[in-house]
Amino acid sequence: MDATLKLWMVIFAVGLINYLSRLSFIAVFARRSMPPLLARALKYVPAAMLTALVLPMIMGDAAAGGAVPFNPKAGAAVLAGVVAFYTRSTLWTLGTGMAALWLLQALR
Amino acid sequence: MESKWFTMARRHFPTRLSHPAPRQGAGSFMRRLLASPDFRAGFVEMLPACLGLIPFGLVCGVGAAAAGASWLAALGMSAVIFSGAAQILAGQLLAGGAPFAIIVLTCSVLGLRFLMYSAAMAPYLKALPARWQHALAFLLTDQAFAAAIRRFDAKDDPHGGARHFLGSGVALYLCWQITSMIGFFAGNLIPASWSLEFAVPLCFIALVAPLLRDAPTILSAIVAGYAVVALGGLPMKLNLIAAGVIGIAAGTIADLARERWTRR
Repeated sequence: MDATLKLWMVIFAVGLINYLSRLSFIAVFARRSMPPLLARALKYVPAAMLTALVLPMIMGDAAAGGAVPFNPKAGAAVLAGVVAFYTRSTLWTLGTGMAALWLLQALR
Repeated sequence: MESKWFTMARRHFPTRLSHPAPRQGAGSFMRRLLASPDFRAGFVEMLPACLGLIPFGLVCGVGAAAAGASWLAALGMSAVIFSGAAQILAGQLLAGGAPFAIIVLTCSVLGLRFLMYSAAMAPYLKALPARWQHALAFLLTDQAFAAAIRRFDAKDDPHGGARHFLGSGVALYLCWQITSMIGFFAGNLIPASWSLEFAVPLCFIALVAPLLRDAPTILSAIVAGYAVVALGGLPMKLNLIAAGVIGIAAGTIADLARERWTRR
């Protein structure tokens, strides 16, 4: 498939599915209440999906089996996680994480 | 061809039988909306949140550039998908060469959280016309959701609340388009030695880490994290969706177990 066409198909398909999810209980299932088990499961979508998304980005080199004894990204990510937990601020998390990465890369 | 009287009558007695209701004019609707204090309050209230969204928007633009999108496609992603996490995920999967169906499926699992927001928002929007429901649903994001619920709870005024919601949604939407465009163009200028790509996981860490305050959520994150690495050998980045589903299941089971245990 042509790369540009695929990209636009992804944009519209994901956009449509996201929109339908947003619209679901507001308009489509407006007369129904959410099944309790579904409500319970949905609470864990962000934590599970985002962690699954983040980890390969951090462990990139290590997961590939390279002989990297020390991964600056992992160290910086842990520090950023602690900052995010306490400040809940994107700006602080980004600032600390990037600064820690640059420092650790310089030290290596 | 229509007489003046016919036009007047139609304005006073709109009927859907033969003619569509007279258009009030989109311009007049927009003018009234922009002048409404609720809309303006919603817009202004969202500006600090927009500030916090700037780095995420920039990162999304950078991610789109890294996935090989043109500026128009990058803008399309932000304008149509309007969800940072889904845009970055789609970009990563595209860059990794995953097939169309897998990309759409993985992004839909991530988008499931909107079902939760939609259900929480539904009672507040019940009294509104369908047009408003459809428009507000499109602008439903993590940030707008929090602000809108606060406002709906503070005043018993669904229509004012809807205008307020629209104001905050429009502020976020504009901010998102502008910052992701800046990110797209700036991303190409910044040298690779700055490791700007690391800002992507950092943005997600900023979203996830504050959630990890109760046992089932922590467990679901740990299980998903373990699974995504353990299943790293799966083709087409299927480990992402598999780990997500396994993590959600772990959290749900832990939640049920905890409830049963505390009830005893």
